[in-house]
Amino acid sequence: MIKKIVVSALLLLIFTPSVAQEIKFGQIEKAELEETEYVNDESASAVILYKHRNTYLLSNNGVSRLVTEIHEKIKIYRNDGFDYATEEINLFKSGNDDEQVKKIKAVTYNLENGKIIESELQKEEIFKTEASPNYNQVKFTMPNVKVGSIVEFTYKVTSPFIWNIDEFRFQYDIPVKWMKAEIRTPKGFRFKQTPKGFQNVYPKTYTKQDNRIGMEVVVREYNIHNMPALQQESYVDNIDNYRSGVVFELVSVDFPGYFRSYSRTWGDVAKVIGGSDDYKNQLDRTRSFDDEIDALLEGKESQEDKMKAIFKYVKDNITWNGVDGKYFYHGIKKTLSEKKGNSADINLLVVAMLRYAGIDSNPVVISTKDNLIPFFPTINRLNYVLAYAVIDEKQYFMDATEEFSDLNVLPTRDYNWKGILIDNNKKVWKQIDIASPGKSTSFYVMDINLQDDGSCEGTCKTRFNRHSAMSFRKKYNGQDVDTYLTSKENKLSNIEIDNYTVKNADSHEGNVSESFDFFDDYGADAIDGKLFLKPLGFLSMKENPFKKEKREYPVDFGYSFKDTYMVNINIPEGYKVEHAPESVVVSLPEKLGTFRYIVAQAPEKVSVRVNFEINREMIASDSYPFLREFFKQIIAKESEQLILSKI
Amino acid sequence: MRILTFPLFVLISFFSFSQDSNITTDSIPQHLISGANAIVRDHQMDVELVSRREMLVNYKRTVTVLNEKGNQHVQAFVHYNNAITIKGIYAEVYDKKGESIKKIRKKDFLDVSAVDGGTLYSDSRVLYMGYLPVDYPYTVKFSYQMKTDNTGTIPSWYFLSGFLVSTEYSKYTVKFSDQNLKPSILEKNFGDYNITPQKSDNQISYEARDIEPLKDENLRPPLHKIFPRLMVSPVNFYYEGYNGHITNWKEAGHWMNNNLLKDQDELTPSTISIAKKLVEEIEDPLEKAKKIYQYVQENTRYISVQVGIGGLRPISAIEVDRVKYGDCKGLANYTKALLKAIDIESYYVHVEAGQDKVDFEDNMASFGQGNHVILAIPHNNQYYWIDCTSQVHPFGFLGDFTDDRKVLLMKPDGGEIANTDAYVNEDNHQLTKAKYILNEKGGITGDITIWTKGIQYDQHFALEGIPDLEVDKYYKNYWSNINNLKIEEFSTKNNKNDVVFEENIKITATKYGIPSDDRLILVLNAFNNSQYVPARSRNRRFPLEISRGYLDEDEYELQLPESYSLESLPQNVNLETKFGEYQMEFEKEANKIRVKRRLFIKEGTYPSSDYKLYRSFKRSIVKFDNSKAVLIQKI
Repeated sequence: MIKKIVVSALLLLIFTPSVAQEIKFGQIEKAELEETEYVNDESASAVILYKHRNTYLLSNNGVSRLVTEIHEKIKIYRNDGFDYATEEINLFKSGNDDEQVKKIKAVTYNLENGKIIESELQKEEIFKTEASPNYNQVKFTMPNVKVGSIVEFTYKVTSPFIWNIDEFRFQYDIPVKWMKAEIRTPKGFRFKQTPKGFQNVYPKTYTKQDNRIGMEVVVREYNIHNMPALQQESYVDNIDNYRSGVVFELVSVDFPGYFRSYSRTWGDVAKVIGGSDDYKNQLDRTRSFDDEIDALLEGKESQEDKMKAIFKYVKDNITWNGVDGKYFYHGIKKTLSEKKGNSADINLLVVAMLRYAGIDSNPVVISTKDNLIPFFPTINRLNYVLAYAVIDEKQYFMDATEEFSDLNVLPTRDYNWKGILIDNNKKVWKQIDIASPGKSTSFYVMDINLQDDGSCEGTCKTRFNRHSAMSFRKKYNGQDVDTYLTSKENKLSNIEIDNYTVKNADSHEGNVSESFDFFDDYGADAIDGKLFLKPLGFLSMKENPFKKEKREYPVDFGYSFKDTYMVNINIPEGYKVEHAPESVVVSLPEKLGTFRYIVAQAPEKVSVRVNFEINREMIASDSYPFLREFFKQIIAKESEQLILSKI
Repeated sequence: MRILTFPLFVLISFFSFSQDSNITTDSIPQHLISGANAIVRDHQMDVELVSRREMLVNYKRTVTVLNEKGNQHVQAFVHYNNAITIKGIYAEVYDKKGESIKKIRKKDFLDVSAVDGGTLYSDSRVLYMGYLPVDYPYTVKFSYQMKTDNTGTIPSWYFLSGFLVSTEYSKYTVKFSDQNLKPSILEKNFGDYNITPQKSDNQISYEARDIEPLKDENLRPPLHKIFPRLMVSPVNFYYEGYNGHITNWKEAGHWMNNNLLKDQDELTPSTISIAKKLVEEIEDPLEKAKKIYQYVQENTRYISVQVGIGGLRPISAIEVDRVKYGDCKGLANYTKALLKAIDIESYYVHVEAGQDKVDFEDNMASFGQGNHVILAIPHNNQYYWIDCTSQVHPFGFLGDFTDDRKVLLMKPDGGEIANTDAYVNEDNHQLTKAKYILNEKGGITGDITIWTKGIQYDQHFALEGIPDLEVDKYYKNYWSNINNLKIEEFSTKNNKNDVVFEENIKITATKYGIPSDDRLILVLNAFNNSQYVPARSRNRRFPLEISRGYLDEDEYELQLPESYSLESLPQNVNLETKFGEYQMEFEKEANKIRVKRRLFIKEGTYPSSDYKLYRSFKRSIVKFDNSKAVLIQKI
């Protein structure tokens, strides 16, 4: 039995009510400079000793600006913490508006012969770059930094984009000893704040009169002590989902004589998006494609065939420009003439065409994996749109941005969360679940002819469907066949592959299969007249992907799957089975996964059938110890030896 | 972490108008299509040295892309900085029938900063075409004109753009208004390629036609040794305010000393006295130098700022002393200044850094060679080399970043080409000793010590001082052959004086031995098990190059569980090939098995036909490294 992992100490954060108000610039303790490692985390290369972030609105002669003041003090413990002595400030720009940084002051403190020595950053050591058309970058690095230094800086960013309040981050790749963050917004602007990450932080909220803008303001103060560093882990959907912080969104503007509500429920969000011109008017304009679609649909009777034809047509003819979006970038007409567009151009085009073909079709707006999970009803945090159709009460989700995606088999980035259905015609605006793609299966059939010198030859046939097929197709079509085979040979214990064939790899529908002959000169160990081998041969799992003993975040497999292996080993003449591994079944709790290993023997051959299933694409971190043990047992079982001896 | 800085002009690519290639796809000869993802139809650079202070470059490149993988060869971009003006940049895209489908004008090009991670600031920028292809094949014609008053480096030329891309036509021309401006040109790797030079009084050009696509191969010599190319370098030039005349390396060194390095190594009196104080109790000059290097390593860090002449000239030592950071040039020059303050001579060194060993050309002096700066300290008729951007390398140890290659030393009497230290074959040594105990369930407990020297030291010593979590990850990867590995204890000793790194590790692992019925089967070589075999290569073209040899020695002692006896032990093995040797010996002694392993790989270049032999040698090693012993339960 495996013991359940002890709740990590990291979760036992203490948020003490603060006594100290704030730290003034230049307030440096000698003891801090003398420290050689961080008490709470000795692996930390640097620590944010103190960070104060203050964001507020300022009005001057009718012009409003969002101001953010930063004051930060960082202790450097090791060489690899030097990166934190360089500050990069990204300043966005759009048209004639741009963000600006002012009042940069920065000092490095070192202890030399028991005295605190200050080195101040000079003006000419601050560099501004026009990094790209969208943003400028101001960068500086601190002078005189060495192991043990403390660096301190302040600056002020003024932004004309007053509705856009950046996420407040409370957790970084290094630990934070103390952080204060404050935001002041005019009372009439209702911003909703939603915490995110594993470590929740609650603000102290109150209102007060702000004389600089002559209004009452809502103040939120966050006070954080001892925030651990954010741990990087593999198989994580998006680490930023787990980073502690808060996000803000404008909910309504409410002043005497004026009220405007921005989204509040998911229904409201859907209505707002549905009310945009892109969704309200554009999806039923068909003039730009009707002729082509008429030709495409000719002779197609069922709605399902029509849908398939349209979906394929868009995938084959329109290229995704790699840009996410829930609103048009080009619009339908230009997308068709340029043959490319963002995700909205492509998938809304699918919706429009399906509607033209008489199919009940609507957009479903989502947030993809790299865009975080939307933590509350929000318009801004939705970044993508899918095409959705219902035929005979059956739901179909489509994403035509990817060549090898299929009906209800979407790129894994789309399975982040739920979707927002925008059905303006039936006036249905709501949150819906995205249909599960169903389990992806991989099927391997292998025949092995073993020789008495331990070498073997044989054939291997494989078949994949759904996401397994999609990932196979992407990999296979992404390189030339020779390169593909060479890397396959290397991956499969350096066997030699011949007569390789593949079927249906170019298509996006249905199964894909491959078949090849192989020669493996070290298929078995020949020791003292006996042959020892792993029955699954080069298909055995070799390494546990979960090497770490503990885990903070859920494991994301991308999709659920079932792998089946059927292996027949033909025994060389003059040999008999001395020992074969026993059949076994191992299961994960809560039906998360199963591993079946079944052995059957006949005089001239041994057959092994293996089923390996993971039933959920996402597995919570509290099940991690089980998952790790599960993989451990699979590897142990698959490395058990079949022993053949001379008769 | 060290990052290359030393960007002279970026190897810019450039145009002219003569030969207008047919833009349709049908006209491409079949032998240029098969095995190619793209075809460079027409690629021309026309360099005009108008005067010592004016260089004009016309560039054009027409590429037909056959599929998605060929997109990378379009290369419709140009790097520039404050000293370079780009004019008339233009691109046009054609479909397979040769019909124009898109025109990209100057304002449509994206203009972004071209700065890598280690750089705080650089004025280097890139203009590039953002075009998303929708149909294949398609063709892009791209052209621009460039103007600069720096003639210190002249663009070089590659006749091949990479692997899986062919060249239909490629031409490089350099024109010079008078003989003083005639550059020197070095032809490299022309081999059997169809490349024809044309020389006249005021211009030199090279034309290449019909170069078929090449496939990349494992363990081949680096690109600079196999691709046909030209190196072009000025004799009389102007660079950021300085005139130069260079015909050999001696003159190149003089020019650096008298211009770009001049007075850069001054220090304030207080820093000079700090330096003197540091070494006041040391007699031996080499020990003094070590002390200074240690001071630099502990007090500075690598940060790169590149503005204008900063590409070649170091920031002054006074400036580095104040902020305590700099790039390779600044830190090397600063260290040199500190050494000078204590009367130790050292030389500023240009080197081409990187895993590939790239030599400076004996017969062509130019500042286009090199991308990094180190320091050489002469002592007892030999040079001690130091890289001042590293905070961890031992004094006099370079590692595989700058080892064994020809470099340029700026000596007081001019430049000199010398070879950096080479770490040859046995120099790169690893010794692993282990005692491990097998229990009756197949679990093991082990006590392992690893000593590394030479390049193998370079590959291991970063383990010193990394966080425990990373150490754990490292060994789980290093011993990926041991499943369920647990690191129980770990310590290191870094002997910087002798450049030996020692690791002591205690491990446990469950299920290492595989129980089968009443037997336990296990791989005896647990701690240095090769799993890597170079990929099979069908129709190998390039020679096999083993750029660094090494010697691994292993001695293990395995204690067996009491309740089991040994049923069979693998055969001893002794392989000797031209590439190296491999020995594996097993010996039983009471309830112990002793394992001795020795693997020696020799550095060298071998004909392509040897690749197969080498692969089969490595494959045998993998097999014998996995030799298994069989234990049987005592009755």
